[in-house]
Amino acid sequence: MRLATVIGRVTLGVRHPAFRGERLLVVLPWGPQTAVTGAGHDFSIVTYDSLGAGVGQTICVCESGEATRPFEKPTPIDAYCAALIDSTFYQAEDPHQA
Amino acid sequence: MRLAYIRGYVTSTVKHPSFNGARLLIAQPVDQADKPDGAPQVVLDPLGTSLHEKVIICSDGGWARNYLKDPRSPARWWIMGIVDPEGSSTQ
Repeated sequence: MRLATVIGRVTLGVRHPAFRGERLLVVLPWGPQTAVTGAGHDFSIVTYDSLGAGVGQTICVCESGEATRPFEKPTPIDAYCAALIDSTFYQAEDPHQA
Repeated sequence: MRLAYIRGYVTSTVKHPSFNGARLLIAQPVDQADKPDGAPQVVLDPLGTSLHEKVIICSDGGWARNYLKDPRSPARWWIMGIVDPEGSSTQ
């Protein structure tokens, strides 16, 4: 369940039979410094989206086997857009710690 | 299971229905020297954890689905315990 920024979309010409009307996004998962500096993303990944995320938006991506859980039939997916993030609060360090 | 610090939280209106009402925090996993290691994870918080607490996060999706009472939930990471600074050490 990583945070990620949407940077693009993918459209398939030939698809796995399990897909129909799928929406695929190219996203940059956040790294340890991204919430502070806005840079330092991890490598881009493709994620399945059913919520309608737009380019530039922050989303929460669920990865691995759990990504396939929302589907009724077996679906070859390992990243699923689980939430469109309205706002984040992030403090890299505890301000009260010496 | 990984050691992590709670560094923030997220809010979301449009989300998978299983997340309705769930508290979603941002946990930064750390290495043995307490340095950030790897990407921050959005985690479920069944315990009521506060900011900057050291926790153990667990990637058991089965328990997360049980907690959210939705067998179709894509949730994976959740806070398994809050670390007591007394009596915890790494060498």
